Amino acid sequence: MTLLTEATDVFAAAETGGRCLVAFAAKRQPLARGVFGTDQARRLKTILQALQADGWLMSVRAMFEPNASAEPYVFDTGFAHDADMVGAFEAPSLSAALAGTVRLEQAGWARRFATEWLLGPREFSTVQGRGAQTDHSWGFLALWEWNDAWSAATKAERRAYDEECDIAFKGDVALGINIAGRHRLDWASCWHHAGLWEAPSLNSVDVAMQGHEAAADFKFTTSRHYVGRLRPLADFIEPDAD
Amino acid sequence: MSECIWIHYARPRPHWYGLDAATQTAHEKTWATAADASLAAGGSRLGRYHIRGQQDFETVEIWRFPSAEAAFEHWSALTAAAYGELNAFANNVGLSIEGSP
Repeated sequence: MTLLTEATDVFAAAETGGRCLVAFAAKRQPLARGVFGTDQARRLKTILQALQADGWLMSVRAMFEPNASAEPYVFDTGFAHDADMVGAFEAPSLSAALAGTVRLEQAGWARRFATEWLLGPREFSTVQGRGAQTDHSWGFLALWEWNDAWSAATKAERRAYDEECDIAFKGDVALGINIAGRHRLDWASCWHHAGLWEAPSLNSVDVAMQGHEAAADFKFTTSRHYVGRLRPLADFIEPDAD
Repeated sequence: MSECIWIHYARPRPHWYGLDAATQTAHEKTWATAADASLAAGGSRLGRYHIRGQQDFETVEIWRFPSAEAAFEHWSALTAAAYGELNAFANNVGLSIEGSP
């Protein structure tokens, strides 16, 4: 696979083995009683377990530690966003990713959530934040596209831009933020890339964003950002109380 | 692996219009070569249609590919040939609905 942009000091090209990110931004839909009941919730949990048995990773954490936790985890974003949760799985292949989203939708996910699925292969390897392993109870999902200005820039201008952004990414890592590499979305989205972070606090994400603004990150990109609190996916697929 | 549909919306980026005709033709030839390779690999192009009247993209192009991987390979070949740098785009991929005609 040709990388959309080259590796940098912070980011190394990844050997993907064909694996595929399955990221999502989902909003719980208001439903009449019984539309999403215990039966749908049970079916959905069964499919999630089956996907894991098929080699899926079920959280951003698992991208750093594949054996860390079997339980699917997402980020609770409803306090700040239109989406109630964002999250990411990793499937063994692009085909498996696409088929898996259909299986989930048909098992009841489509009743519970209105979802933007974002699929694509890994380009860069994970980057571990500096410092002691702390409680990374916050998450961050960045979706971005290279804008017309980037597209019209010369190769040298883009390289200089990458080097400047790398200063900001080094700042992120120094804040203890874990960066789950970079994934390519452009084959099946209007977004070109996804970036997923585990962060120690909301404040650390905010400070990091100030660093990216100082590095003029956004002169060449149009982006959408989500921040959220780590939470089990199971909390979002419980049926509404009667 | 299952056959999938791939829907590609595009419009030229502003700096495309500043290229001379020979350079534009050379790019289009490269992209056509990539499309031919995808056809030879089992993809089929249903067509390319003008849609500027209804939205901000200029064209929509629809392909069938033998797999999601084949769709990605097609797109990857185009982007490696500067297609995405000269065209704004949005893409969709989808599996056929079981039992649909």
